[in-house]
Amino acid sequence: MSTTDGDMGVVVRTSARATIPLIGIFGAYIVAHGHLTPGGGFQGGATIAGAGILFLLAFGLEEMKRHFNKNLYSALEGIGGLAFLGAAMLGISVAFFYNTLWHNGPFFNGNPGTLLSAGYLPIMNLAVGLKVFTGLVSAMAGLALYRRWRG
Amino acid sequence: MIEQVFFYAALVVMVAGFISVLRVILGPSVPDRVVGVDTLNTIVVAAMILLGAAYDREIYIDIAIVYALLSYVGTLAIARYLQGGLS
Repeated sequence: MSTTDGDMGVVVRTSARATIPLIGIFGAYIVAHGHLTPGGGFQGGATIAGAGILFLLAFGLEEMKRHFNKNLYSALEGIGGLAFLGAAMLGISVAFFYNTLWHNGPFFNGNPGTLLSAGYLPIMNLAVGLKVFTGLVSAMAGLALYRRWRG
Repeated sequence: MIEQVFFYAALVVMVAGFISVLRVILGPSVPDRVVGVDTLNTIVVAAMILLGAAYDREIYIDIAIVYALLSYVGTLAIARYLQGGLS
């Protein structure tokens, strides 16, 4: 069994403190550069959810219960889906999923290959990343909190 | 321009990977297999970096970084399970 109640040793906890921001920042990089490099919303969101899984593994269930807010994560998942739908609805005067930000929009219309280009794609990547991250962390927390086998 | 020497290095690394797969298959106990999988993770990261250099695509390095970070989480999950699970 572990040293104290519910968490792993001091090496794992300290390295998790160093690694969780690294995984989070790298996942945010994957999400934000979804239209330029490999990856995108789902891959970046799953990477950030890996940081959540590392938090649960390193710090234990009690610490996870203290930091996990079910209502907040559920609301953020809904907001991610609604932001995707809202970005798809922006050019509804021409067609559904019409990329009006790219054709005649005020922003996200830079040169192809730069960060602020590709119209609604960065918004959709952020929305999908938020949805995947909150959904996976909620599913993992639900499974971890499901039932105790003994005691 | 594809550098041939990186393909040979990746081939050597893949031979090491097959040897660690042999340990995963043959390992008599579960920790043997976990160590084999952990070794295989590191070898796969090295192979990804070498193939990224061989194909001259620097964006392939991103996938190697993600794999290195998440394989650590996977090994930690198995270690936590073998240690007695959550709390």
